[in-house]
Amino acid sequence: MSVQQQSPRAVWATRVIGLSALVGTVFTVWLGLWITPPDRTQGDLVRLVYIHPGVAWVALYVAFGLTFVASMLYLWPRTRSFFWDRLAASSVEVGVVFMVCTVVSGSIWGKPTWGVWWAWDARLTSTALLLVLSLGYLAIRRVPAEPAVRAKRCAFAALFVAVDVPIVHFSVVWWKTLHQGATVLNANLSPTIHGSMAWTLLLGFVSLTLVYVWMLLVRYRIAVLEDQLGSGELDVALAERRAEGTTPGPAPRPLAGADQTVEEVTA
Amino acid sequence: MKYVIAGYVFVLSLLFLYAVALLWRRRKYTRLVAAADAAVGSPGGVGPVGAVGVPGGVGAVGGPGGAGGAGGGA
Repeated sequence: MSVQQQSPRAVWATRVIGLSALVGTVFTVWLGLWITPPDRTQGDLVRLVYIHPGVAWVALYVAFGLTFVASMLYLWPRTRSFFWDRLAASSVEVGVVFMVCTVVSGSIWGKPTWGVWWAWDARLTSTALLLVLSLGYLAIRRVPAEPAVRAKRCAFAALFVAVDVPIVHFSVVWWKTLHQGATVLNANLSPTIHGSMAWTLLLGFVSLTLVYVWMLLVRYRIAVLEDQLGSGELDVALAERRAEGTTPGPAPRPLAGADQTVEEVTA
Repeated sequence: MKYVIAGYVFVLSLLFLYAVALLWRRRKYTRLVAAADAAVGSPGGVGPVGAVGVPGGVGAVGGPGGAGGAGGGA
């Protein structure tokens, strides 16, 4: 076992993505809070549009989309590799953080708009379900098992979780809900937002996607190190057990025979 | 406007804290793997393993540790 160093190119790419994400996010906040105009209907509350759909985009489509693809590629025998398993697990963990951001920022937006922090609306409920299912995936991941068994189990769990993603997306179409319809990813793919608000929204999407990519790269690196450490510990444990098996130990204790009573043996 | 500020503060704080946690975990695991690597490679660190000559065991991986283990076992 040895520390597998990242290539200089990978380190450089991670840093550039991280820096771009930071600069983009700062610009989004600046444009969103100070530069863009208030909305005619919602007033200043519209400023939440620059982060809430962005984190939802990452959580719902990017993170879980990648998890679905990676899990499929793991299950497909020709492409089976622990790379896909680690990628899926890393994406779910980062996606859960973005999902919490989505639910909480949506709730904060809902209070002044709808008058309640939470409603059992189709969009909100299906999103909350997705969050719970994702936490379930992470829980399954922590159940002790052989790496291959764990990977296969998690890949099937990811496919099960992914079933909820289209339900979340189409919930505002299938049911008449409190939550508004899609602003950008609507049926006609014609955004209903224009001018500086549209550009700031786009910048928010790009910046938060870069934040996700940076987090994914770092989380993947941690997964590699975890596996490396786990396999190293397993090597040591196996070697120690084998060594114990071949090293002469203390004489075995006599078993209870005809000339011994149970009390003598247990004493 | 207080709801807007609350939304931004929550989202940015959570992302920032998670990013810090990721960096901290990466550093921790890098150190742990390096420490485990050093322990395996050190003479006597895995003496019994090298002594019994486990094929593909720690001694073989560690290289110098295997030699140290053989010496310790002898």
